[in-house]
Amino acid sequence: MLKQVYTNESVLEATKRRIEAVFDDWENIVVSISGGKDSTVLAHLALQEAHKRNRKIGLFFLDEEVVYESTVNQIRYLMNLYPENTNKLWLQIELHLTNATSLTEGQLICWERGKHKIWMRSKEPDSIQYKPWDKEKETIRDKNKGFGFYDALDNFQNSRKDTCFLVGLRATESMNRWRAVAKNPGHKDWFWSTKGQNGNISAYPLYDWNFHDVWKYIYDNNLKYSKIYDYQFKKGLSINEIRVSSLIHEKSFKALVELPEFEPKTYDKLLKRVGGIAVGHLYGKDSKMLRTRKLPKNFKDWREYRDFLLSTYPDESKKWIFEKRFARHLDNNYVARQQCRQLLLNDYENNLPVKNDVDPIEKIKEKWRALL
Amino acid sequence: MKLKSVKGNIELPCMEVILVPVEKVMANNYNPNRVPENNMKLLEQSIIDNGFCFPIVVIYDDVIDKYIVIDGFHRYTVLKERLQVKEIPVVVLKHDLSQRMAATVQFNRARGVHQVELMGDLVQALVNQGMEDEEIAKHLGMEYDEVYRLKQITGIAELFKNQTYSKSWQMMEVDENV
Repeated sequence: MLKQVYTNESVLEATKRRIEAVFDDWENIVVSISGGKDSTVLAHLALQEAHKRNRKIGLFFLDEEVVYESTVNQIRYLMNLYPENTNKLWLQIELHLTNATSLTEGQLICWERGKHKIWMRSKEPDSIQYKPWDKEKETIRDKNKGFGFYDALDNFQNSRKDTCFLVGLRATESMNRWRAVAKNPGHKDWFWSTKGQNGNISAYPLYDWNFHDVWKYIYDNNLKYSKIYDYQFKKGLSINEIRVSSLIHEKSFKALVELPEFEPKTYDKLLKRVGGIAVGHLYGKDSKMLRTRKLPKNFKDWREYRDFLLSTYPDESKKWIFEKRFARHLDNNYVARQQCRQLLLNDYENNLPVKNDVDPIEKIKEKWRALL
Repeated sequence: MKLKSVKGNIELPCMEVILVPVEKVMANNYNPNRVPENNMKLLEQSIIDNGFCFPIVVIYDDVIDKYIVIDGFHRYTVLKERLQVKEIPVVVLKHDLSQRMAATVQFNRARGVHQVELMGDLVQALVNQGMEDEEIAKHLGMEYDEVYRLKQITGIAELFKNQTYSKSWQMMEVDENV
């Protein structure tokens, strides 16, 4: 059975060796960067190795337009750290993004043609502005949703061949994803890699780092990092729950609550760019409105609330998606609360799937009934 | 008295403040605004430090002969309960119920937020002028923890400089029967 076994090396020494091995075995290397702390460290380690060997590597950023200004600044910083060793792969193309805060504007198409006047900012002069792959071969995961973030990732990777994509995934951060990765090595005995198409692999050299290792590396090497981390820390978030996320999708709308305090200009531009932003700002952490933690007082249970939300759902063209989906579900309060959340967050794409299960309270009650 | 503006004349109720007995003022029953306890303390401190600068906005209900608060419910509460004054400065508007409800929300919502970074600069400036953390906490209505965090201009990375790197680990095939 596969188990974690500690070695005598530090994560830094071990990772330097992993990256050397990547450079030994792969001619084409692309680092995915997000503006966050992990990919900042990974990009710096890889760029140093590239510099030592006088080679060029790609830095890939998939730009969703609606991001913190601090993120954009961080990307520019990384792209210009070792210009002679960097291939800029800054992708700015139309993507269909979920907008969880608005019922009427459920999607935002970033970088949409003809709307350049209300884009959050202009495109970078040296970015990739057209899809760099064969239109004929383009794949889409979900046609209802349209061409989205993950489709761009898929198609970008598949447009390359014999390439090693470096990703800043850490096991302590996302245990589930890590388990999926560690199952099958993508190359040699590198259990920290996965196989892709066209002879590509993805590799995760930071897999064993803890968050304090990441911050220590940033301090020791005097690297810049996104200001959002300092803002969130000053606002009292505990240090291991701080994130630099996108601004509008169903898992990140909470970022809108504090956005005016962090980046007032970004917030103002976002207000003009897409609907629902003020709702996200005012109610992003409210237990009733968007997070669906408490039942509003006028409803006797979650099922009644769900029926009400469904009957008043404003977009007739999407209503059937919910009706069809819910018809397959159990009809209990546990399931109904999750359905309410999908309706309130306008999650017709099913990004926050409903656990279709017996109400756990019923199980507990049954246990007691049996005992008594 | 009126102010001329590009959008017509603007009324100036703030020039017609009157003092009324505290027992003739009462809250409205629809205000959704709630001020948390720590900010009530700050409000009290602000009134002590700066004086009462803005009158309470009310309407006069002649059926019950009372002034009903449209805006300033929490300042009214501080005056009445914490500072136990006898009279309250008010301006009287002539709004019907729907206008009053709208006005309450307008007054509550049309306000700004503090940019975190500038707030940090402000706290730093107070420290540089010799103000103690405790005083800052009291006068700005912050917990000591918030003052401390805002004072830290060094940033997150600095906190980890004395750490050592973790031990590396690998995934290995281990025979469970050993």
